[in-house]
Amino acid sequence: MPQQFSQHYTSDQVSGQPEAQDGLRRRTTDSAQAESDALDAVLDDISSTLEHDAERYVASFVQKGGQ
Amino acid sequence: MPQLRDSSNQGPGSEVPHSPQYESLKRIFGVETEYGVSVTGASKPCDPGQVAMMMFAPVLSRSRSTNTYLPNGSRLYLDVGSHPEYATAEACDPYDALVQDLAGEETMRRLVGQAQERLRRTHGAGATIHLYKNNVDSAGHSFGCHENYLVRRFVPLPVIKAQLLPFLITRQLFTGAGRVTGHGFEITQRAGFLDEAVSSSTTRSRPMVNTRDEPHADPYEFRRLHVIIGDSNRSQTSTMMKLATTHLVLCVIETAQRLGIPSGFEACAFRAPSAANKALSADLSARAATIELEDADAFRAGQRDFGSVIAPGGARDAGIGEDGFEHSGDRDGRAGLVSGLEVQYHYLAVVSRFMDEHGGQMASSLPRTECAAILADWRTTLDALARGDLRALQGRVDWIAKLLLIRRLKARDPDIPTARLRQIDMDYHDITNGSLYDSLLRHGVMRRVAGQAEVDRALNEPPADTRAALRGGFIAHALAAGAQFTCDWTHLTLKQPASAELTLLDPFDAHSDAGYTRLLARL
Repeated sequence: MPQQFSQHYTSDQVSGQPEAQDGLRRRTTDSAQAESDALDAVLDDISSTLEHDAERYVASFVQKGGQ
Repeated sequence: MPQLRDSSNQGPGSEVPHSPQYESLKRIFGVETEYGVSVTGASKPCDPGQVAMMMFAPVLSRSRSTNTYLPNGSRLYLDVGSHPEYATAEACDPYDALVQDLAGEETMRRLVGQAQERLRRTHGAGATIHLYKNNVDSAGHSFGCHENYLVRRFVPLPVIKAQLLPFLITRQLFTGAGRVTGHGFEITQRAGFLDEAVSSSTTRSRPMVNTRDEPHADPYEFRRLHVIIGDSNRSQTSTMMKLATTHLVLCVIETAQRLGIPSGFEACAFRAPSAANKALSADLSARAATIELEDADAFRAGQRDFGSVIAPGGARDAGIGEDGFEHSGDRDGRAGLVSGLEVQYHYLAVVSRFMDEHGGQMASSLPRTECAAILADWRTTLDALARGDLRALQGRVDWIAKLLLIRRLKARDPDIPTARLRQIDMDYHDITNGSLYDSLLRHGVMRRVAGQAEVDRALNEPPADTRAALRGGFIAHALAAGAQFTCDWTHLTLKQPASAELTLLDPFDAHSDAGYTRLLARL
């Protein structure tokens, strides 16, 4: 069984409680399916917001290098 | 506050007392991020330099400089090549540095917001400014996310180079941001752009680690380690782990130097760090043995000494397994090659033993973050990589989130053009008009670490437990009073209504003493 991550790093449990998203990740097919579904939902989200002309979008980002 | 010591009576037998933090393992953390800028949808040409200046208009109007310090103690700067840059205020805990870094994102977001409104009046209602928290533009120009760590002065630079660099290269297994290339995918953004390992110069070459002349602290006690090899992260876990695991390794190095004993990292040096960096970046299995060590025998001896575990229950078989490791002495006869993961496991084992022996001092090295929890998560992360279990890390590691998304996309649409994948790669890093990362958060794919309320507070409030508190307080009061002032990391300078200056040499000192109170009174 895969080990579990700590829920959060801080000992401050009261203020600024992080929104812990994960718990134990069991390797069940249900879990794997849910993860695929989540990715599909994400891909559906962005398909309508990404600019249509991908090449033009990519080419628009050119700058000289930094330090 | 430590006194500045006169160099004429410095010597090995000097009885001058050290500052409290010189003897501890406490650390100052800083993250400097250069952002990329682009514009799409404009009705007429618009260059990024123009847009960056528009972003900084509110900053310019207030301070007459494109280099300014904010009331939260951070620094906002318009860099060479029009890369807006945000340097976080000094934090003494990785969590605080993360919160400050996120406040930096929000600060940048707001600057873009007002610039975009102005731009749309002249360049059409569809003009859209993209601010990228990444490291490469579409033409291959690179820019950075640099970390700063305060390190005790008694650690010589060659020691840092030899012992820290292999760690910095291989930690990218869980800190890399990933990048869609013309022909595939890489774990890091910039492996193709970093050359020399360590250098004191940053002008022409692109070193991975250097130290700065100005430690922004007592130069007799500390040096400022400036780490160049690191990707800009969106994953909050990556930012935390990047800073926190580096802290653990630095603690081991400092303590060994202080006690005059081996750290356990002596044999980790790579024969060709640049080549190792490139090889690691190109290996998506995260387990191929592609790194050549300076002294493989010494490294193996170290592994035996520390019992570096490769994988839970995994035997270190010779030969190339389907889902195993390629070890030295394998059928190909490539003795002396290791995988980045093996190197990481060794660092983990050394740190783990160190923490067994120095647990108390480590526990007090960070005020908010538990070193033991970092160590445990580091181990869990490496174990997931060892199993090839990328899904377990999808919410924590940028390159893995991107890769799994791209694989899903390709599964749905095998003919998807590379340009579309590059677009998605860029959108992931667009903190103003991107949609991908927010969607990953919303759908519970990407994990949050920092509380939103804390990030909101950090927009205007410096960390309370470092020198940033004094700088931030001075700036806030000076702005409210309409005073003329400048400052930098170690000085507060009042010009009008009075002329006065205060030097703040100790980054750990947040105490407002008489000198500071007097300065504020003159505003």
